[in-house]
Amino acid sequence: MCKECGCGETNGNTRLQFFVKGYTEENAKEVEKALLGLPGVLFVHIHAHDGETVVDYAPAKTKLMDIIGVFSARGLEAAL
Amino acid sequence: MAEIQVMKNILGENDRIAAENQAMFAAKGVYVVNLMGSPGAGKTSVLEKTMEKLKDELKMAVIEGDLFTSKDADRIERHGVPVIQINTAGGCHLDAPMVQKVAKQMDLDNLDLLIVENVGNLVCPAEFAVGEDDKAVVLSITEGDDKPLKYPLIFKESAIALLNKVDILPYCNFDMESAKEDITTLHPGMKVLEVSCTTEQGIDAWCAWLKEKVAGKKNG
Repeated sequence: MCKECGCGETNGNTRLQFFVKGYTEENAKEVEKALLGLPGVLFVHIHAHDGETVVDYAPAKTKLMDIIGVFSARGLEAAL
Repeated sequence: MAEIQVMKNILGENDRIAAENQAMFAAKGVYVVNLMGSPGAGKTSVLEKTMEKLKDELKMAVIEGDLFTSKDADRIERHGVPVIQINTAGGCHLDAPMVQKVAKQMDLDNLDLLIVENVGNLVCPAEFAVGEDDKAVVLSITEGDDKPLKYPLIFKESAIALLNKVDILPYCNFDMESAKEDITTLHPGMKVLEVSCTTEQGIDAWCAWLKEKVAGKKNG
């Protein structure tokens, strides 16, 4: 996003790092898509092998529980 | 401890001027679309086809954003449509103050449709409103079907996506269904059109969408 090139601001976005247990190659892709489909989520990066998951989102548009819900709906355990 | 104070919220200031622009265009019943996409996506080609199809039906003008040159504005001018060039001098996007400055020089009373062609960039332009009614994104299939998920903001912000250069689809590894699914995952209900400026596929549908928007603006 624009803040990456320095020409804008963060727009109130927050970047969180989760550690998620239970990823497979398939459900990691599914989670990436589902997270990007949430309002205000602008960046998702998942390392399926160790569970590291970075999510850049606007707390004003999406609640943390909505993000957690994406993991739990797929039987995945996520810790901050 | 060093402390840095934010003296001015640049995006806040931009949003304020964008709202002024929007009110100025609304008062004149001008529908404004902010056309965005990467360099080479085909924004100017789509614009040229749009002018060919609509310039006799609608009173149109173009604001052309470019880094340094007037190459795109020269292409537009050949179609006999009023065009004003904004050179950002290296800036990666147009912003509301730039558009306000040139819009004040335009004959808005004599206009139905204003197309703002933003600087070629799939990232920054999506963050800066310029006073438009809608944003539109042009993605050419040569850029790859992974771009929607890699650059989600521009797809979340846009009302319509034009997947351009579909005439060369058989020669590219572009999964059309996957790209469309990703786009509508990011922005449910978003209109997605397959277009080609070479064969004119989808151009009528794009023009019909614009005409509907213009009519909607005129009717308040």
